[in-house]
Amino acid sequence: MVTGSLASPPANAEEPTVFVVDDDASVREALSNLFRSVGLRVAVFGSAHEFLQSKLPDVPSCLILDIRLPRLSGLDFQAELAKANINIPIIFMTGHGDIPMTVRAMKAGAVDFLTKPFRDQDMLDAVTTAIERDRNSRDETKVLSDLQALFAALTPRERQVMTLVTAGLMNKQIAAEIGVAEITVKIHRGHIMRKMAAKSLPDLVRMAQMLGIGPGSGGSQT
Amino acid sequence: MAEYSVLPMMRNLATKSLSAEQCLLGSIVLALAVAACMWLLLGPPRAAPAYLITGALLAALLAVSLVMMRMVGRTQRRMEAVLHGRAKGEQRAIEALRNSEAQWKEVFEHNPVMYFMVDAAGTVLSVNTFGATQLGYSVDELLGQSVHMVFAAEDRHMVQGNVAACLDNIGQTHSWEIRKVRKDGSELWVRENAKAVRRLDGQLIVLIACEDITERKQAENALRQSQMYLAEAQRLSHTGSYGWHADRREIIWSEETFRIFGFDKTPSIKFGTVMQHIHPDDRESVYRTVERASRDLKDFEHEYRLLMPDGEIKYVHAKAHAAKDATGSTEFVGAVTDITARKRAETELHEAQTNLAHVTRVTALGELAASIAHEVNQPLTAVVTNAAACLRWLDREPPNIKEARGIMESIITDGSRAGDVIQRVRALVNKTTDQKAPLDINEVIDEVVGLVQYELLSHRVSLRLELAPALPLVLADRIQLQQVILNLVINGIEAMQPVTDRPRELMIQTRGEARQILVTVSDHGVGVAAENADRLFDAFYTTKSSGMGMGLSICRSIVDSHGGRLSVVGDAGPGATFQFTLPLHQEENAW
Repeated sequence: MVTGSLASPPANAEEPTVFVVDDDASVREALSNLFRSVGLRVAVFGSAHEFLQSKLPDVPSCLILDIRLPRLSGLDFQAELAKANINIPIIFMTGHGDIPMTVRAMKAGAVDFLTKPFRDQDMLDAVTTAIERDRNSRDETKVLSDLQALFAALTPRERQVMTLVTAGLMNKQIAAEIGVAEITVKIHRGHIMRKMAAKSLPDLVRMAQMLGIGPGSGGSQT
Repeated sequence: MAEYSVLPMMRNLATKSLSAEQCLLGSIVLALAVAACMWLLLGPPRAAPAYLITGALLAALLAVSLVMMRMVGRTQRRMEAVLHGRAKGEQRAIEALRNSEAQWKEVFEHNPVMYFMVDAAGTVLSVNTFGATQLGYSVDELLGQSVHMVFAAEDRHMVQGNVAACLDNIGQTHSWEIRKVRKDGSELWVRENAKAVRRLDGQLIVLIACEDITERKQAENALRQSQMYLAEAQRLSHTGSYGWHADRREIIWSEETFRIFGFDKTPSIKFGTVMQHIHPDDRESVYRTVERASRDLKDFEHEYRLLMPDGEIKYVHAKAHAAKDATGSTEFVGAVTDITARKRAETELHEAQTNLAHVTRVTALGELAASIAHEVNQPLTAVVTNAAACLRWLDREPPNIKEARGIMESIITDGSRAGDVIQRVRALVNKTTDQKAPLDINEVIDEVVGLVQYELLSHRVSLRLELAPALPLVLADRIQLQQVILNLVINGIEAMQPVTDRPRELMIQTRGEARQILVTVSDHGVGVAAENADRLFDAFYTTKSSGMGMGLSICRSIVDSHGGRLSVVGDAGPGATFQFTLPLHQEENAW
């Protein structure tokens, strides 16, 4: 049994990987063959437990899961991943007569479900979609974490000023608010624009929104 | 008795005739003297005076008479002496006869044989004391009576006929058996020997000697009755008996045995003749059994078929006991039973059971439909996916033949796997079973497990297999055993349905024992209530909301037919444990 192994040699870090969890070795092997034939990296696992035990590469990926697995079922596994904050897109494979489970899986955020035996193209399309979604989600996550890092690098005063600036307050108003000279506010704004790599004020406002420090969280808007 | 006076009378006659002789001589002399006197008086005169001549003649006559008298007297004395001697001899002979007669009379009177002398009309002329006593009469009571009085009214015709037969063939002995009636009305059986003789006086009489055969007759009757009972019992029970001297290859049969084999009755039957009526397929085994029996001289038992001339097939069961006969050689005494009707009933029952087993099997398979679909669908998914992958490898530029080849091999494996599942299901759906062959019980269990994987999965049941390695083979029908295991597994899974507070675990265990294999299926389910344990194997008994209640009943009859036993074991822990045994396969089962 191929346990958590990558079927193709590790290339560059961004190369997407498909994870397959199915208790049936034949199905695992077949899926591995299919994905490799289109140049996708694959890692196959016999159970949810094996999957959780292995160290996953930090690349765009998706998980193909049989809805009925021994011990921990596909659905329970899905819930467990969500609880652990692992947001990998899941494609479920189901047998016949698993409609109620399928509905539950979809409600819990599955990307797609395919009835065994499935058309290869359907599977590949689902995987492409899932990986694309993961890539986007990963990109968004990256932008945000970059912003968060930049934001964290600001001094407390600068974070305070930024919150007030993005809330739409004039320099004079800010100076009055925090009890400093207007010139000092202007200097802070210059530092903030540079440190946050903001091209313009609207750009900075968008960053604030992404960081969630908009009007609701930071300054007061009377 | 009248004869006794004959001899003395003859002696008296002889004495009288002797004195008459003397008188006769005297008379002749007297007559001559008279004639001479007459002649002298009346005849012509002669020269001499007549008185002188007369006187001379008289004197001459006197002289002659005297001489004659003396001669006669002497002869008489001699004769008397002879007669006297003869009379003495006669006396002795008579004495001897008297003794002999008394002796014979003794014999006649006291010989324990009844003697009768009757005349042509059947009137008793004579009877011995023994004969009269045996019939409760005195001799006098019978004498002069019709002999009919000692026979039953309904037999008198026969008595007349017998007497007539004797009279028709004088001097020839006839014999017959007949009942006689005593004075007190009781009966006795006698065997009579009779013949007619003509008495000296010309009268025809019939002499009859008869012996009491009542005891023999009773024994005979008892024997005949017992034989009749036996024959009747044999006829009713379709069981014939036979005797067989192993060394003589000859068999004595009872009437029923002849009937069973469809042979005409003969005193004995040759072994080879019997063989011809045995079904050709069974001859070999019958021959072997008989050979072994005649070699070992031990009891034997076997079943075989007879092929009757009209093509009918009879099933017989024969059993024989080896016994020493009077000469010390071994004789087999056996019984052969026509079990055709029983066989037919058994066959019908068996067919009914087979049909029922088939229905329950298909029903069980119905419950497993999802599981079976899954078992086929998995390899099918692999095949379809692999085929697609294969095409993509081939479509590459350049085509990756190595990958494609590897995938093709997987496709073959997966395709075969799906085929196997279908084969297994088809076998279970198939109606024809009862093909016993030596098989490995672990293999059978593995095949069943292969069908219930999904069922276990969807019911969250974990399966533990503890199969003893390298178990000896059992002689069994694969499908029937699969049905038993399948049934027990499904029952176990269903019994664990309500269980939420403990792991749902099903365990299948095999173990080899001295002469059998033990298969145990235990679950952690709701268990079997003690009061239901007895009824569990009854037909139509079920604790499930759905289900016919046939499963365990069928399973038990299947295990029974394999010579094993299916039972529920006293509860160890939660859940129920079912186990069944199967005898080990032996090369040849002795009769």
